[in-house]
Amino acid sequence: MKPRLPPSIRARLTRALLASSLLWVVAVAAAVWLAVHDEVDELLDDTLEAAAEGLRGPLSQFPAIAPAAAELSPATSANGRFAWQVVDHLASSQARVVASSALAPTTPLRPIASGGFSDSDDWRVFGIPLSDGRHWLYVAQTHAERQEALAETALSAALATLAITLLAQVWLQAQIRHELRPLQRLAEHLANSDPEDPGTALGPAERRELQPVHRAIDELTRRLALRLARERAFTGHAAHSLRTPLAGIDAQLAVALRESPASLQPRLQRVRTAARRLHRVVSALLALFRSSATLQPQELDLAEMIARLAVEGLAFELPDRPLLTADADLLAAALLNLCDNSLRHGATIVRLSLPGNNVLRLHDNGAGISNGERERLQNALGGQVGASGGGLGLLLVDLIARAHGGCLQLPAVDSGFAAELHLAPRQPAT
Amino acid sequence: MRLLLIEDDDILGDGLREFLTADGHRVDWCRTLRQVAAHEREPYDALLVDWQLPDGSGLDWLHGRRRGGDATPALLLTARDLLADRIRGLDSGADDYLVKPFAPEELAARLRAVSRRRAGSADALRQIGEVEVDLVARSVRLRGQRVELTSREWAILEALLLRAGRIVSKADLERLVLGFAAEWASNAVEVHVAALRRKLGRALIETVRGIGYRLGSGQ
Repeated sequence: MKPRLPPSIRARLTRALLASSLLWVVAVAAAVWLAVHDEVDELLDDTLEAAAEGLRGPLSQFPAIAPAAAELSPATSANGRFAWQVVDHLASSQARVVASSALAPTTPLRPIASGGFSDSDDWRVFGIPLSDGRHWLYVAQTHAERQEALAETALSAALATLAITLLAQVWLQAQIRHELRPLQRLAEHLANSDPEDPGTALGPAERRELQPVHRAIDELTRRLALRLARERAFTGHAAHSLRTPLAGIDAQLAVALRESPASLQPRLQRVRTAARRLHRVVSALLALFRSSATLQPQELDLAEMIARLAVEGLAFELPDRPLLTADADLLAAALLNLCDNSLRHGATIVRLSLPGNNVLRLHDNGAGISNGERERLQNALGGQVGASGGGLGLLLVDLIARAHGGCLQLPAVDSGFAAELHLAPRQPAT
Repeated sequence: MRLLLIEDDDILGDGLREFLTADGHRVDWCRTLRQVAAHEREPYDALLVDWQLPDGSGLDWLHGRRRGGDATPALLLTARDLLADRIRGLDSGADDYLVKPFAPEELAARLRAVSRRRAGSADALRQIGEVEVDLVARSVRLRGQRVELTSREWAILEALLLRAGRIVSKADLERLVLGFAAEWASNAVEVHVAALRRKLGRALIETVRGIGYRLGSGQ
């Protein structure tokens, strides 16, 4: 299953900026609405009043001019700005509309004569008496019209804010990308750095916010280098403490084999064989421990390596071009352990082949193991920590393969025992 | 061959000394560089040097000898198996490098190989006129017939073979054959040289009057 990618800083910042921008647009629109509400009301009232004052003179000549004014008014009232009525409040007992603009209602806007501003359900009305004192002029505007004017003002402000915000988004995106580049460079630097190389120190950060990260990484690198140096020193001491007595045991056994009677020779030889097996395990452990931090892959000639290992009791069949890329010490340790395994299972011939890209296959003619046992061993190797019954030798070989980025495979074979050492892919020859 | 073994580990040092002695070599074993100081002027056919010693670095000691002009074949015996260590060891004057643990048989074989190369030939078989010497089998033939030598006669022949073309003083020959601090009759070398000439021909060993001996042409 593909691991889920962690959230992206850039994507998260983009989402946060978008959300905040939308909130900003809404907030600006609301603020504009609230701020200009009274001003727009006042402005529209002034307009109503000015219109009334403007119409008052001509309409005072009523009735001669009123119909003509009614003819003229649609130009202004048709666009919905306002409507007007001339109401006769002394006619019989009830107010009567004697002239009006096209959009004005047929009923009087005010049933009782009064001046100034007032509000009805649908209209904002400004009343002013004509010169005869009998007729009143009412100039009105619908509430819907006034709301629309207000909404248009708020919408214009919101759209302007949105446009600015979108432009700011583009700029911020570019800025985020630019500001995240030091992190990318930091990652590239770390990917190519060696904690033991004194030149690895990061030095000053490109951004102040990255300074603590640089300090922490430099400190971690320093501690890691110190630990590696201590481990190397320990390995050196451990190697001396383990290898020298083993060499002493072998030398003493070599002398004993020469000096002892024939009856004791097989027993001493077995002791020497066991001691040499111990050499191989110790060498592999030391090589693995030391090489975990400093793997040194190089192109190796298997024929030369096999000759140098000088494994007694086994004949080797080699491929035509026996070249492999691996750490020399670790591969030698792995081969010794696999050869030891073959010897213990009665093999006399080991066929080496390179069936894949940097894959070394060893197939011996020993007694081999059952398919079930092979699968159990393979599962034990796959489980690694806590695996039991796999044998230290094969486990070491598997660890060596894993140190190279590969693994140990135990393929099914018709006879004998086979092991495939999958190492890291070879570098193409240049 | 007369060998100087510098190894601080008792079990390993004792084992190597016994093994190499049984192989026909004369081994002087020192556990520390302080002990080595007493052997500085002794002639040796080869040096077996442990890198890490209780009172210093065997490698530094070897490097000092090389700078002083000493060309005695030297094998470095060490637990250090890093590539950088091997390079440093060989660059500091070691002719070969053996990582512990090693089989003493391999040490003996490398010792012979290094000594042969230093003597001017990688071949274990040497032909001096009608005399054929096998340095590995430690056997001598004259006109194809095997000739039996005593261990001291062989030691003198081997010492001269490994220094072919050079004059070896009587004193050095005595020390090479007998070893350090041993007592020997003053004319013992002459006696064994005479025996060798008798068995293998007079031309095999030349006497350089007043100085010592040199391997001859054999004819």
